[in-house]
Amino acid sequence: MDRRSFLKATAAGAAVLGGARGLAAPALAQGAAARTLRFVPQANLANFDPIWGTQYVVRNASALVWDTLYGLDDKLEPRRQMVESEEQSDGGKTWTFRLRPGLKFHDGEPVLARDVVASLSRWMVRDGMGQMIRAIQDELVAVDDRTFRWRLKQPYPKMLLALGKTNTPMAFIMPERIARTDPFQQITEYVGSGPMRFVRNEWVPGAKAVFARFDQYVPRDEPPSWLAGGKRMLVDRIEWIVMPDPATASAALQNGEVDWWETPLTDLVPSLRRNRNLVVDIADPLGNIGSFRFNHLHPPFNDVRARRAVAMALSQEDYMRAVAGDDTSLWKASASFFTPGTPLYTEAGGEILKGRRDIEGAKRLLREAGYNGQPITVLVAQDQAPLKAMGEVTDALLKSLGMTVDFVATDWGTVGQRRASKAPPGQGGWHIFHTWHAGADCTNPATQIQIRANGDGAWFGWPKDDAVEAARDRWFEATTLEQEKAAVEQMNRELFRHVTYIPTGFYLGFQAWRRNVSGVVKGPIPFFWGVAKG
Amino acid sequence: MYAYVARRILATIPVMAVVALFVFSLLYIAPGDPAAVIAGDQATPEDVERIRQSLGLDRPYLVRFGAWLWDILRGDLGVSIFTNLPVSTMIAQRIEPTLSLMVVTLLFAVSVAVPMGVVAAWKQGTLIDRMVMAFAVLGFSVPVFVVGYLLAYVFALELDWLPVQGYTSFREGFGPWLENLVLPAIALGSVYIALIARITRATMLEVLQQDYIRTARAKGVGQRGILFLHALKNAAVPIVTVIGIGIALLIGGAVVTESVFAIPGLGRLTVDAILRRDYPVIQGVVLLFSFVYVLVNLAIDLIYTLLDPRIRY
Amino acid sequence: MASATVASPAAPPPPHEVAAAPPMPDIMPPVKARRGVLGFLWRYPTIAIGGALLLLMVFVAVFADFLWTVDPTALAPARRTREPSAQYWFGTDMLGRDVYSRVIYGARVSLIVGFAVALLSSAVGLLIGLVSGFVRWADGIIMRVMDGMMSIPPILLAIALMALTRGSVRNVIISITIAEIPRVSRLVRGVVLSLREQPYVEAAIAAGTRTPVIIWRHILPNTIAPITVQATYICASAMIIEAILSFIGAGTPPIIPSWGNIMAEGRALWQVKPYIVFFPAVFLSVTVLAVNLLGDGLRDALDPRMAKRI
Repeated sequence: MDRRSFLKATAAGAAVLGGARGLAAPALAQGAAARTLRFVPQANLANFDPIWGTQYVVRNASALVWDTLYGLDDKLEPRRQMVESEEQSDGGKTWTFRLRPGLKFHDGEPVLARDVVASLSRWMVRDGMGQMIRAIQDELVAVDDRTFRWRLKQPYPKMLLALGKTNTPMAFIMPERIARTDPFQQITEYVGSGPMRFVRNEWVPGAKAVFARFDQYVPRDEPPSWLAGGKRMLVDRIEWIVMPDPATASAALQNGEVDWWETPLTDLVPSLRRNRNLVVDIADPLGNIGSFRFNHLHPPFNDVRARRAVAMALSQEDYMRAVAGDDTSLWKASASFFTPGTPLYTEAGGEILKGRRDIEGAKRLLREAGYNGQPITVLVAQDQAPLKAMGEVTDALLKSLGMTVDFVATDWGTVGQRRASKAPPGQGGWHIFHTWHAGADCTNPATQIQIRANGDGAWFGWPKDDAVEAARDRWFEATTLEQEKAAVEQMNRELFRHVTYIPTGFYLGFQAWRRNVSGVVKGPIPFFWGVAKG
Repeated sequence: MYAYVARRILATIPVMAVVALFVFSLLYIAPGDPAAVIAGDQATPEDVERIRQSLGLDRPYLVRFGAWLWDILRGDLGVSIFTNLPVSTMIAQRIEPTLSLMVVTLLFAVSVAVPMGVVAAWKQGTLIDRMVMAFAVLGFSVPVFVVGYLLAYVFALELDWLPVQGYTSFREGFGPWLENLVLPAIALGSVYIALIARITRATMLEVLQQDYIRTARAKGVGQRGILFLHALKNAAVPIVTVIGIGIALLIGGAVVTESVFAIPGLGRLTVDAILRRDYPVIQGVVLLFSFVYVLVNLAIDLIYTLLDPRIRY
Repeated sequence: MASATVASPAAPPPPHEVAAAPPMPDIMPPVKARRGVLGFLWRYPTIAIGGALLLLMVFVAVFADFLWTVDPTALAPARRTREPSAQYWFGTDMLGRDVYSRVIYGARVSLIVGFAVALLSSAVGLLIGLVSGFVRWADGIIMRVMDGMMSIPPILLAIALMALTRGSVRNVIISITIAEIPRVSRLVRGVVLSLREQPYVEAAIAAGTRTPVIIWRHILPNTIAPITVQATYICASAMIIEAILSFIGAGTPPIIPSWGNIMAEGRALWQVKPYIVFFPAVFLSVTVLAVNLLGDGLRDALDPRMAKRI
């Protein structure tokens, strides 16, 4: 018995329900439903400032509302998006950009060069590559309404990558009045020039976010490819429906209550595959790289031997099965800090993660490092399934090495705060936390701050190692692919020698959608342009 | 009587004041620094300090409590740390689903539980009585989320009679609205039904032994008339009291039920806020829920004074 | 609601949360009296059934090591989400841990939380209730504070308290205890106030008997019965709140198995691997049911006044 016949069959109540149901779904509403795409995002859109917030979910929503000067295509090449042309002069030290004509913000105002200047100025403060540019910047000025110029003290060859990259914060362009907001405070107005408008009065953080098609958006003529090319919207309205419970999301997708689920749980995929109305596919071929992060400031992990001991005993397979499940096509052990399948990928120096795990050797090494049974503080975010799984595997791993574990079960927000503390682990600090990095961000050294080892300036854990930094500098100076490869190989080797952190493996995720939805592509961001329904 | 009503209304003020002080202190001593959250990743200590000052987080306890209380009395519940939206806006967005869920659950539970209790009392000692009572104990013993998943599995996934999740606004029609609320209301109602059925049965048993019932019987009033006219009317006060006090059960249960059925209401807002330590939101919803609870019970008290002449003040 | 019970003479005591039940008449029909323990149990079958089930759970918790269990925290990602079988009686969870062993060891956490909360909240509630009943000037303040705390739904209060600290069994116990204290305090205060008006107590006060002696001789013996009954219901309620805390992610960390967090872990897979949720749910429900039955029976046996009034 299906839902409708049940309602008909049920005596008095059915008359009420059935009648009202008929009234509620006139033909017009059905037409609108066909042009509304209901999407279950990976997480709640809790805030909406892509410069201030670095969560992937914020970036993904922002890519609908705000446009970028350049956009990465599926070959990982930055392509012109808002920019019509660019020109390098003065030996690569001066960049002059010209905007496409006809660009408009959602409030109807034209996009001007001074909007771009204000947006980039705010972005530079918060972004890793932006900070590098800022350090060598002479001036960034609007020359006229459609032209702006960047003068640097020395050449910065990765400029276009910086402006078009996918890792957060992306260089989104906002109106000048919004971009003037303090970079450490959230913006309160969400006006962009992207293909969709943010329908603010329908935003219910924790439950729903709504985007409506921006009629005055002028897409580029090229076919779309990730963030590059023409972003043509084929639906009028996109509703993001937040479902923290994967079981509920799975049921909703199967019942046709939503159209597209960004991150189905791997264990639920077999049951989704059995449903003929659904399509399940890899979400992002560049996947994710799990991360086991040490605090280098405090014993025992201020000693490279203790870090090495953990690496000797760590089984990437355990981590990957816990995170990604039994389907071995979804994950692989990968002794690398870089993304498998991309040009610079290397496993040089990664022997420590391969072969039989040496628990006894690790215990010996720990003793040499002076470990004396003190509790190891592990921060574990319970609200992020992969991090929860990694945390529990780490707990078992450390215990197998005879270590005492202080397992701090908390939420990701609190991990985010506490990992910034340099205090001793017993006094509000930490020894270990886990995270993951999108494979799209780990294709080269520029877009990942986690592989820096410049002490205080480095990412949480504050590793310091001159050889790692030297290898990184070598990559930035590289001009050919061969030179880049050599630099990255050296870098991978140095990172493993220093055990800056431990990659816990490479894994892919699925996405699933109803069969009546077409145009879904694989990529690091759910790309809504070119997606149609009906 | 007016004096009693006035006194009763005034008596809610110290209660709310205690709630306010409690909620504020709770989050005052809370670990974690809202300023650090607001500043986000990669902020320097100086940035955090600047934000702390701009939020007034560096002022002494009583000053902050005073300022906070003053804001609340003016209807300003502050701004969410995570969404940067006014807490009052966030609450307003989510009142409708929660209110709907509670009203439907309340109506459903009362209309099921009261007859259950009455019949059990009437048929005291029989199999029916024992089944009702067994159900009542069971209702207290199975966690609401287990009931919820069971219902969703059977009626939404296997039979496909009802939607498995979500909420449709009342404005989009009565049918779709109710359709989405049936399963959550049954799940949430299970504890409440158990509570009301037990109390109804117990008070009915007591009332049925009273003299006037015997008189009514002697006068030849039919069984149904005795049960529902005479007895139930006199048993109403304790039953209504329990319904009022049980609002706390509904609120607590809504937090869980809304998570299970993905209803975008205040319960899920609460869970999200607590898991993310969004203190202004936690303060706002806890205050609101307590206020509702106090108000409902105040209303019930006042209704007695109007309805039941036996109550003396 | 401050005076709800005062205003309506026939009103029952406020329910304690969730598992909280107002007094319930026995499910079983009354039978002939017999003597001795067996006779007692025969007369109060709910005590017999509830007590037996609870003892069984206590046995399971105490002797978990010997009940064919393995280490409940031992990970084996290579054999995850196995269906129940001869080797894994209740199957394995997402990290390959043995669900049977986790459920058996989980009995410890749930029972410890239930008993500890019942004991602690009774003890603290008794103290507060006594102070409130005997120290006039403190009564007003204490009862306003209790009223305020009671108007925050207990689950909400417990969740909010958990947000302040990190998940551990101790913190779960403290949070639920704080949420339950007002109810016990009110109960004790009510008993104290009614006893104070008894002629023999008034006589003792008039004769100049010191307050501690009055409390020891006249008050405490009379509070034991209602507190015991109340404590049983609180125990049941605490076990459910523990499960709810774990379920929404604010409870004990997953490395310490409790029925609540085994269910929380299996929650995402309940459609495809229902057994991960099913077994702990059955254990939890049966245990809470046992405690509730025991509470009902104890109320009938220990507190005939209370049983009769309703």
